[in-house]
Amino acid sequence: MANVAYLSPEWVEEARKRLKEQLTPEKMNKVTSSMTNIYQNCPDGKERYMYVSIKDGVITDFDVGEGEPPKAEFKIIADYETFAKISRAELGAVRALTSRKLTLRGHMAKALRLAPIVDKLNKVLASIPADY
Amino acid sequence: MGSGKQANDPYAVDIGKRIDDIQALMKERDIDIYLGSRIRTHSFIVDAFVPWRSYIVIPAEGLPTLFTFVIDATRILSETWMDEDHVRGYFGAGGAEQVDVIQYFIEEELGIEKGRLGYETGMATYTAEGWLTHYEYLKFSEALSGFEFVNAHDIVDHASLIKDEGTINRFREAGRIVDKGQEGAREAIENGGWKGMTETELAGIAALAMRREGSVSEWNFAGLNEISSGWRTGLGACTPPTTKEFAAGEPLMFDLHGMFKLALGDHSHNYLLAPATERQRWHADNFVACVQFVADHYRAGATPGGLITELGQFAEDRGCSDFILPGVEHGIGLFGDEWRVGANMDVPIPYWTDPEHSYQENEMVILAMQYAAQEDGVGFRYENPIVIEKGGCELTSKYPLAIEEIE
Repeated sequence: MANVAYLSPEWVEEARKRLKEQLTPEKMNKVTSSMTNIYQNCPDGKERYMYVSIKDGVITDFDVGEGEPPKAEFKIIADYETFAKISRAELGAVRALTSRKLTLRGHMAKALRLAPIVDKLNKVLASIPADY
Repeated sequence: MGSGKQANDPYAVDIGKRIDDIQALMKERDIDIYLGSRIRTHSFIVDAFVPWRSYIVIPAEGLPTLFTFVIDATRILSETWMDEDHVRGYFGAGGAEQVDVIQYFIEEELGIEKGRLGYETGMATYTAEGWLTHYEYLKFSEALSGFEFVNAHDIVDHASLIKDEGTINRFREAGRIVDKGQEGAREAIENGGWKGMTETELAGIAALAMRREGSVSEWNFAGLNEISSGWRTGLGACTPPTTKEFAAGEPLMFDLHGMFKLALGDHSHNYLLAPATERQRWHADNFVACVQFVADHYRAGATPGGLITELGQFAEDRGCSDFILPGVEHGIGLFGDEWRVGANMDVPIPYWTDPEHSYQENEMVILAMQYAAQEDGVGFRYENPIVIEKGGCELTSKYPLAIEEIE
């Protein structure tokens, strides 16, 4: 497929499709959680969020938007460029966290247990051909 | 809110009352948030073993929340009365390290951005007290810039001074466990068993005996079980066990530590390895008599200053006052509480025993005595957690007070 613009409506559509196809409830350990990525300093100067909601391992909501994000169990805050590097597999999420390029908010013990799930999610998103 | 799984649990304690007591004292002092960092504060509230660097945030109203090293959060959750929302972890990542998580929790989740924050600082001889470090203080006060930081550890000290029945029962069980350790240690050295044995080996034998009875930790930081023999007994304190082998004609000092449901067993017992000299026997008889004298005089209303004065006269009459080290006590409470006697800050020498502290019923203290005859290479130490009663005291270790000669 042709490249789509990262975080664009087309990218969101493709992400929803791929996540549904590739991440079964079993693969998602049937978890229930929600998280919001806050993209600061996007190329157009705006701030955006990416919201994911999971119920019993099924992704029930996946969206990108501007303004106040939906309330989520976890919030991950970083520059657009950091998230883009993670999506392009140029930077590991753990390395970004431990070098303070990402800021995590939420219950840390729960967050650690969810880390493998987030990895799986990131791998699917990274597979979308995109222009950053 | 209690911490006793079944009705009639002899070890049940009322954590709700503890929190209410702390919050009432916070209100008196106009404190909006209490940031506890000492082990004794965690033990008192969490009612579980919290060994890693942790912080407990107690709001003026509502439940406290613990922040611990994330690797241990789930284990603590399995042992405490607190739920998952109130047992949280921290680790070394952006937004996840200690200061970040607590700042975010207080400001964003509790919604408190300014006020008075009580924290814990001071000093002790006890290394692992857990005072907020200077670095932590700087970082927390920078992150929570809307707060006035006030030292308030005496709030928890006051709330934890008088022990409830469940806590006292835990100490009784810890005393029984330590007695089993003493029995195991004695069995190991009798009938020549001491030959070729080192202080460290004996410490391990005693530890195994206590673990088999349910102890979960030799909690003391001076080598866990403090064992000394020979010249080091003449210093009147055990201190860490060494690889020195026991030798005939030497005194032995076994200071054992066990832990049961955070209650600390701490009993020090002494022996003479045969052949004992007449001088050693004289010293030993003096010490036993002095310990018995003090045990007979502990009661509600007694003071450390009064007890040491009375003991001084008793020892003078026996001609052994030169060998009695000053002091007949050190503090004791749940894990992490091993130093202060009493709870008042307004004492002649801060963080040392107030000689005028008046013991109250159901307060606990270690009856701790030291006898040091360094020139004769002999000394003894006695420790036993005691419960202060109206007309006396209860020794939680029942091991017989004696200094036997072991063949």
